[in-house]
Amino acid sequence: MESAISSILFYVFAAAAVLCAFGVVAFRNPVSSAMNMALCFGFTAAVYFGMGAQFLGIVQLIVYAGAILVLFLFIIMMLDIKAEEHARKSFPLACIAVIIAGIFAGFVTKVAISLPGATVGECPAIVLCESLGDLAPGSIAQKAATEGLAPYGSAMPELSPAAAAKALGADEATAAAATAFPDTKLLGQSLFTKYNIPFVILSFALLAGTVGAVALGRKLRKD
Amino acid sequence: MIQNLPWLFLLLPLVVAAIDWLCFSKCPRTAAGLSTLSAIATFALCVAYLNGWQTGTPDIYTWLPTATEGMTSLSMGLVTDALAMRMMLVVTGIGALVHIFSLGYMKGDSSNLSRYFAGLSIFMFSMSTIVLADNLAMTFIGWEMVGFSSYLLIGHWFHKDSAADAAKKAFITNRVGDFGFLIGILLTLAVFGTITFAEMGGKAAGIAPALLTATVICLFCGAVGKSAQFPLHVWLPDAMEGPTPVSALIHAATMVAAGVYMLVRLQVSMGTEAFTETACITIASVGAITAVLAALMAMQQDDIKRVLAYSTLSQLGYMVMAVGLLAGEAAMFHLYTHAWFKALLFLGAGAIIVCCHHEQDIWKMGGLAKRMPLTVLCFLMGTFALIAIPGFSGFFSKEAILHAALETSPVFFWIGAGVAALTTFYMTRLCLVAFCGQARDHGAAEAKEAGPTMLLPLLALGVMAIISGYGFIADFLVPYAGFEAHGFELGLPFYVSMGSLALGIIAALLVYGCGKRTTDPLAGNCLSTALRKRLYIDTIYDKGLIGGIQEYGAQIIEFADAALIRGVIVQGFAWLTAKFGMLLSWIQNGSLRGYALVAGIGIVIFVFILAFTIPTL
Amino acid sequence: MTPLAHYLIFSGILFSIGLAGVIIRKNIIVVFMCLEMMLSAANISLVAFSRAQGVNGIPVYDAQVLALFIVAIAAAEVAIGLALIVAMFRARKSVESSSLNTLKD
Repeated sequence: MESAISSILFYVFAAAAVLCAFGVVAFRNPVSSAMNMALCFGFTAAVYFGMGAQFLGIVQLIVYAGAILVLFLFIIMMLDIKAEEHARKSFPLACIAVIIAGIFAGFVTKVAISLPGATVGECPAIVLCESLGDLAPGSIAQKAATEGLAPYGSAMPELSPAAAAKALGADEATAAAATAFPDTKLLGQSLFTKYNIPFVILSFALLAGTVGAVALGRKLRKD
Repeated sequence: MIQNLPWLFLLLPLVVAAIDWLCFSKCPRTAAGLSTLSAIATFALCVAYLNGWQTGTPDIYTWLPTATEGMTSLSMGLVTDALAMRMMLVVTGIGALVHIFSLGYMKGDSSNLSRYFAGLSIFMFSMSTIVLADNLAMTFIGWEMVGFSSYLLIGHWFHKDSAADAAKKAFITNRVGDFGFLIGILLTLAVFGTITFAEMGGKAAGIAPALLTATVICLFCGAVGKSAQFPLHVWLPDAMEGPTPVSALIHAATMVAAGVYMLVRLQVSMGTEAFTETACITIASVGAITAVLAALMAMQQDDIKRVLAYSTLSQLGYMVMAVGLLAGEAAMFHLYTHAWFKALLFLGAGAIIVCCHHEQDIWKMGGLAKRMPLTVLCFLMGTFALIAIPGFSGFFSKEAILHAALETSPVFFWIGAGVAALTTFYMTRLCLVAFCGQARDHGAAEAKEAGPTMLLPLLALGVMAIISGYGFIADFLVPYAGFEAHGFELGLPFYVSMGSLALGIIAALLVYGCGKRTTDPLAGNCLSTALRKRLYIDTIYDKGLIGGIQEYGAQIIEFADAALIRGVIVQGFAWLTAKFGMLLSWIQNGSLRGYALVAGIGIVIFVFILAFTIPTL
Repeated sequence: MTPLAHYLIFSGILFSIGLAGVIIRKNIIVVFMCLEMMLSAANISLVAFSRAQGVNGIPVYDAQVLALFIVAIAAAEVAIGLALIVAMFRARKSVESSSLNTLKD
């Protein structure tokens, strides 16, 4: 029952996101495009929530819709950009672009369908590994296979968050602290232990971005 | 060493020719004497061989050896069987007589006589090569050399445009035939595995008839060129531009007979089963057509040498027809008698021309019978042999051909009979107009008897024209192994040939009277004009073939050069490169959207290659 | 349970629309917005894979960490990009992509 509703909700939000994406491309007024983009990001965040990636959903809303989009609107308003003229002679270019986009979407569809197990909800990695005869030692897939845990898409009952945290190798304390939405905590664990160094480097990247934006945005003084 | 004496037939004239041209080109009399002596010497040698003098088989000289076993190497060798030796008798005999005749004929000529006699010696060498060759390659060498000496001799008076053109025409027309001959030689090598005559025997049985036909017909092309058969007959009438002794030797007796000789040699070596039905019918038809056409054209010629040239064409047609009817014996018999009486006719004509102060038009002669009786008598002997009056040599050989034709294919028999009637008509016309009646021009009025150097060969040839057909001579001298002359038989051929003889003589007498007319009564209507203009075949070749090729061929080549090579290839590539460059330059046009588009296309292509074409798990 | 393929197709569609927008639109800011949409679409497919590898509803977080990084980098990129656009506007007084044509002959 739940999974049926969550599937329907996914399709609804996905369709809405696609419609808003069309709106971004189609509207001539850049403000309209920006608004459509905001809605698109919002529906994408909803999809994330539906997938169980709550943290990323929030991040999507805060960073994308909240910061990036606002920055766009700010620049649009500051530069006072008018609506684009509807140029007739870009019609052939538009056709070519649509064709290219269509071809690309077709490629993605074909690849997606051809992944073993993707159309029925099984994990492609596990299915592949099983067909190849070995599972990477220590991987969650192996654990799942050996301990009888239910892989994605199967109908086995869900573990409680604590048991799930234990299954993922968290220690007792963390497992006890695992609450109904363990997503953030588990992500944080992975982020700060395994991906610690890239995280630090990312902060440097943000710093560079900041400095660059300031440097580029300066008005050159005419001496 | 003594067995290599037959090589002297070749080497003696060759060396004499070289000496004549290199050392004695300023001393014509010495050159003439040397040349004549060499001709007489080879004749004597030939007579000695025919009398049974055996010296063994001559050595074979390997010219181009082949490395592998089983492939024929190119060698030069001599064959000294009856066919070859008796043909050599004809060649050297007539050659010697022509040399002697030339001493008298060319006296007082302003051109370089050493060149003339050197040319005659080269011709003797070449003709001997053809006759004595033991393989087709050597025959081909002799073939080409004979064409070359013919070119030299026809164009002896090269200051005359007509003579130079005639020499070129002869050589080029021969070349066309030789192309087919060369293909035939290669086919023989492929089909029979050998080009040596002695090794060809018995191999024809296992070969596909189509291949045999192709081989024989290609080889026949050589004979079409050399023996002036239709359609390559056009060079022979023009070849009369050369001195008359040359016409006698080359274009009556020997060179044009080389084609027939080669065909008979092939028939003897390969066996008559190699000559398939199709090939035989082709050969016989070509011969018959030539005979008819030439006889028709001869009826309206006014130049005495031209009449004789066409009659040579016609008689060659007879010989080739006989070869096509697989009657090689009859063909060689006719070749042999024809050589004697045609040489006689030409030399006689030469004597007449000289004595009439170089007048060649028969309508400007007349009454010569009274003024030069001996010459005219010899000429008449030749004429009687040609029109086949019983008792003369030509009668026996023509009978032999007609017999063979009747046995094999009556169509050719009746064609032969018709041509005999035409022959009689035009030869009688010639004699009536030239010898009877009154002199029509001052040249004829002052004619005297010919000198002894010219008369003696005429008399000798006259004797041969009479007696060479009889069994007791022919059995020894006709170039064909095991030849036996048929006796005198009454039968359909005899009656028919007598009938055509009578028809021709009576028709000529009716039209031309006793030579009292001053112009040809038959001239003027369109048929006779066509015959005078050689049935326009020459014109067709000249304007149609040659003019067409030169004009339209040149236009086509010019079009190909301008439009195709310059336009398409050179300019086309330049245009293509420029357009392609312009096309590519659109990719970098400074437009952001353009770059984005190209990037998008690139993404799609890249993804396609990565995801779909590289096989991955 | 929606199958993995559907998430991937959704992501692909969003990406294609973004690609089309980049090529079609003349206004550079809108082009940039479509570019951001393409990045977001990539994120979706990452999260979908992370979930699919997971067990019992608990995803494998490696892909989600990567998605987080992508979001951060996208933010930095937008900052710099818009600064560039402002600089361009000051130079050319226009944000049309056809105004950047001094390399054209």
